[in-house]
Amino acid sequence: MALLTERDNTTAMGKIRPVRSKNFALTVPALLLLVVFFILPVLSLLLRSVMEPEPGLGNYQALLGSTTYLKIFLNTFSVSALVTVVTLAIGFPVAWALAIMPSRWASIVFAILLLSMWTNLLTRTYAWMVLLQRTGVINKTLMGLGLISEPLPLVNNLVGVTIGMTYIMLPFIILPLYGVIRKIDPAILQAAALCGATRWQALTRVLIPLATPGMVSGALMVFVMSLGYFVTPALLGGTANMMLAELVAQFVQSLVNWGMGGAAALVLLVVTLTLYAIQLKLFGTARMEGR
Amino acid sequence: MLLSFDRLGGWKWILLGITGLTAAFLILPIVFIAALSFGSSQWLIFPPPAWTLKWYEAFFADPRWLEAAWTSFSIAAMVTVLSVLIGLVASFGLVRGSFIGKEGLRALFLTPMILPVVVLAVALYAFFLRIGLNGTVTGFVIAHLVVALPFSILSITNALEGFDKSIEDAAVLCGASPLEAKLRITLPSISHGLFSAAVFSFLTSWDEVVLAIFMASPTLQTLPVKIWATLRQDLTPVIAAASTLLIVITIALMLLVALLRKGLKS
Repeated sequence: MALLTERDNTTAMGKIRPVRSKNFALTVPALLLLVVFFILPVLSLLLRSVMEPEPGLGNYQALLGSTTYLKIFLNTFSVSALVTVVTLAIGFPVAWALAIMPSRWASIVFAILLLSMWTNLLTRTYAWMVLLQRTGVINKTLMGLGLISEPLPLVNNLVGVTIGMTYIMLPFIILPLYGVIRKIDPAILQAAALCGATRWQALTRVLIPLATPGMVSGALMVFVMSLGYFVTPALLGGTANMMLAELVAQFVQSLVNWGMGGAAALVLLVVTLTLYAIQLKLFGTARMEGR
Repeated sequence: MLLSFDRLGGWKWILLGITGLTAAFLILPIVFIAALSFGSSQWLIFPPPAWTLKWYEAFFADPRWLEAAWTSFSIAAMVTVLSVLIGLVASFGLVRGSFIGKEGLRALFLTPMILPVVVLAVALYAFFLRIGLNGTVTGFVIAHLVVALPFSILSITNALEGFDKSIEDAAVLCGASPLEAKLRITLPSISHGLFSAAVFSFLTSWDEVVLAIFMASPTLQTLPVKIWATLRQDLTPVIAAASTLLIVITIALMLLVALLRKGLKS
């Protein structure tokens, strides 16, 4: 909201202010830092993917031609998609409730959201490793209730990764969606009711379509962030469902294969930047606040 | 009606139910870890057979944990200072400047935020191998600065765009030097942006794991690296104790931010 007034300001001021291109110099320290320690190292890594061990596309052929690696790509996409769908399914009703519930209750939920978001990533992942283990609280509770007789395998598999990642991504979808739903004029829904729409029609034909841009933008963000996640899949997932980021790290750390590492990094980079470009094109803003 | 809480009817309870369960889902792991850190069970059994402080004693008795915490803190402090300074200068350039490619530059400055960290970590690791910065404080600070800077630039440009420049111009007309006007008028007015830039930069560095795993050496590691390395061996409750301390710091920071926000408003 503040942004709008600011923009009016700048244009109004811009007319009387002379053009000064010398302010570019102020951005040079930041630019230098990014060029030397971000752009050049990343480019040089990508270059190594076509130069090592010998010039050519051999690494890419090896990467894209092997079923082992294709399985990892597929797994990365399906885990990210699953996490996106689950967070969206939970996030929409929560964001909706937050937008309309009495502010005293909402502020408690917001405090919980922020606390969980700000808590150290490893702490949160560790918590799930403890809760989901064979002798963990969840298995103990389910067995105590008589729902299961044997402990369920909840960790080192798809279930563990999905729970852990959903936990981390939920705030990233709830907060932007809350902003979107908050801005919808309640009068529009009253109008729908006056025109004879049932609750269900008002939801599917008015509220959801109006919230769709927020849902798509939030979903894209969660999907992109999930694709590149390293820590949570490495700790909560099993070896059977490795993800792309782990593959990049493994090539470099354990196999010391820079060529393949660079190639895997490029694949991850291209997918991420493409989706980011789509996000920018569709919504004009980047609200990626991930770590 | 769907956007009026009182007129939602039965749906109200469904929405509240989902929200309550989600809130529980988000808060319970944190509560459990805090509780288990005081439990006597080595295997983190809940409810614990007895209560104890021995995991905290183990944490404080091991110099490697304290060293790692101190390393984390000093790196995060350096990153915060550099990130706010460089970010402030760059934000002035981005908001007040007019040069070709300004919007492109702004987008470029935010890219480290969306790039998968593992790619940057591997790339910087390779570069630092060549120039000998792996396992050094400088290496850590540079790596964390790259990912912290976008948060600084985002917070400070936002604050600067919300500041009416004519106030600064007025100070200059009244006889202040341009620098004096910036220091005494503009900076205090955008202090909330500077503050959130500092908090985000600090937390980015303090919590960062992936870059740190690559930059670390056996003699120099941050707290997250120490937790990571310990986690790979076993789930010892000492990590629960360390985690609880981190959670306490997080809550303290959140309260500080909330208090300062309140202070700024009044």
